[in-house]
Amino acid sequence: MTVTRDRAEAAAPAVASAAPRHQNRLARWDGKYTPYLIIAPFFVVFGIFGLYPLLFTAWVSLHEWHLVDGDQGFLGLGNYTELLSDSKFWNALGNTISLFVLSTVPQLLAALGLAALLDRGLRARAFWRAGVLLPNVISVAAVALVFAQLYGRDFGIVNHLLGLVGVSPIDWRAETWASHLAISSMVMWRWTGYNALLYLAAMQSVPKDMYESAMLDGASRWRTFWSITVPSIRPTIMFTVVTSTIFGLQLFAEPQLFDPGGTALGTGGSDRQFQTLVMYLYEKGFRLFDAGYSAAIAWMLFLLIAVIAVLNFRLTRRIASKG
Amino acid sequence: MRRRLVCSAAATLVVVLAAAGCGGGSSASSDGKIKLSIGLFSDFGYDNLIKEYQASHQNIEIEQRKVKMEQHHTQLATQLAGGRGAADIVAIEEGNIAQFRASKDKFVNLADFGAKDLKSQWAAWKWNQGTTDNGDFVLGLGTDMGSLGVCYRRDLFEAAGLPTDRAEVAKLWPTWADYAKVSDQFTQKTPNVKFVDTARNVYKAILDQTEEGYFAKADDAFIADKNDKVKQAFDQAAELGTKKQTAALEPFSQDWNVALKQGSFATTTCPAWSLALIKAGAGDAAAGKWDVTTAPGGGGNWGGSFLAVPKQGAHAKEAYELAKFLTSPESQKRIFKETGNLPSQPQVYKDTEVTATTNEYFNKAPVGQIFGTSADSLKPTYRGSKDSKVTPVFNTALQRVEQGKQPAAEAYAQALKEAQDAVK
Repeated sequence: MTVTRDRAEAAAPAVASAAPRHQNRLARWDGKYTPYLIIAPFFVVFGIFGLYPLLFTAWVSLHEWHLVDGDQGFLGLGNYTELLSDSKFWNALGNTISLFVLSTVPQLLAALGLAALLDRGLRARAFWRAGVLLPNVISVAAVALVFAQLYGRDFGIVNHLLGLVGVSPIDWRAETWASHLAISSMVMWRWTGYNALLYLAAMQSVPKDMYESAMLDGASRWRTFWSITVPSIRPTIMFTVVTSTIFGLQLFAEPQLFDPGGTALGTGGSDRQFQTLVMYLYEKGFRLFDAGYSAAIAWMLFLLIAVIAVLNFRLTRRIASKG
Repeated sequence: MRRRLVCSAAATLVVVLAAAGCGGGSSASSDGKIKLSIGLFSDFGYDNLIKEYQASHQNIEIEQRKVKMEQHHTQLATQLAGGRGAADIVAIEEGNIAQFRASKDKFVNLADFGAKDLKSQWAAWKWNQGTTDNGDFVLGLGTDMGSLGVCYRRDLFEAAGLPTDRAEVAKLWPTWADYAKVSDQFTQKTPNVKFVDTARNVYKAILDQTEEGYFAKADDAFIADKNDKVKQAFDQAAELGTKKQTAALEPFSQDWNVALKQGSFATTTCPAWSLALIKAGAGDAAAGKWDVTTAPGGGGNWGGSFLAVPKQGAHAKEAYELAKFLTSPESQKRIFKETGNLPSQPQVYKDTEVTATTNEYFNKAPVGQIFGTSADSLKPTYRGSKDSKVTPVFNTALQRVEQGKQPAAEAYAQALKEAQDAVK
């Protein structure tokens, strides 16, 4: 097509001068290629910092690879088969999912409630809206430091408060359920406000006349919330579910810093009771220098997230088409 | 027409930016000084020495990089792996040196610069820890050493009806079994105070008094499953945990500092360098309450470091000269006076000025003498190249015992299995 048109142009009588023809071609190129050129930087950066590490990690995972000394020989899928029979891997996976559920479900529900409150005509609205985002702005290391002290076994405030109502002190790092609750509270504290703001933005675009007609029909606040607000912001809810899943499965900083051993020695408690997948990856790769195994964990995590993302996507589509 | 103008403007901008970029690059390297970086953790006491070195070597500029100890070593491993980013001189702690000895091709052999001539400066065991290939490869020059004592709270001992004088306290515990007996007595009298901060450090102290721990001296083979000494040390430490006589703290953590301030434990194993940490944690209010005495089982060593030069640096010779200066006897003596870090060289730790040093905060304890005397006869435990992978496994096992999650025997069995996995 292009070729014939070009030829036709060339065959046209030499009435048009060379310059406009040149400009014409430029304009066409412009329309065709400029969009690609403009998005190219993203793909170049993605290629360097996203795709290349991804593929290189895959390559490393097929080898016995020492972090310092490098390649020690090809293993094929050896790392993966070992991983599947590694009880520590399954333990970490279980912890990751438990922490994910414990932190995400209440978090998103709380965010929904918070957004509904913020959506009402409050005084000093900007102040409250900025306020809920504040926990998210604070560095995770600082949050972890403060929470680790709040949940201190001997002198922590949480235990002190529990003591006032007669609960004996809890060793928050020793018990599985206690440590999961403590870490989840940290995650919730950081992300609830952020999600609430997303919901709030979505709620504000819900047409007000829908609420008015519902009120005329005599619907209660509770009813309008669940029958109008929530269905209207469903795409946003789905978006937060997907992003929370991705973040949740990669949970690292909060539990790692909750361990008093910190980034260097922490393995998620004395019996790995709160070691997540990424923590296990970090331990294997950067403390035990088994980069090949660590890369295999990274790929398993990637596949897991990909599977859950696809499931989420399917679910979203189904719900969206129902709505 | 408009578009062409924009294009040429953009092109001009690109050229200008590129030119500016080039200009920036050339001016940075034009001051002609050699920049040396030195990667450290905690306080090596080098600030003043470095200032002086820069004054006497006008062409050298030195930058100190300090991170936490564990992070420092992990970071160093990745920098060596990546082939860039490591400082020109790096400190390596005694517990980690074996692991880096195994990757010696990433480091400069300091013998190439004549380091072997300095050998006689150090206590023989300290020199040997920093070398490999039967002494032909000099990986690092020794900085300080830890030695080992036990710190105890005088007021808490008095409350429990125990002697408080450091010579008499030393007589209470010639062996670790005696130490455990004192712990029982103490707990009976004052059940609300823990006798020791953590089982982990007692375990380490006992194990470090043996010649071989997890690995065989002869061939670096994993022998923890056959070595009775490991089991004995573990059982002795675990017993304290089972009886709830430990405060079950992560040593040197924030919680440990708080416990120090609250006076919730009465003794802690203490190498020379930990005096400063105890003082910082317990604060001025506890001045004179803490004291130091000899450790059960006849001394030992915990910690102390080496300065090594990674191969990836551009100025190996200059780096070596600086490391030599920082580890020289004169420098070590000054560091001891300024920070209390114990010298690893006999001519310094036997110097009357050092042996006469007392520590005001620790009830005027003669720290120079307490820590210096055991250094000569010291037989450091052999550290295998995978020691730093195995140690944490046994530490968490003791933690499980202290937390009451597992009986000692079960915890030990699990640790042994995990250790075998870690060295595979």
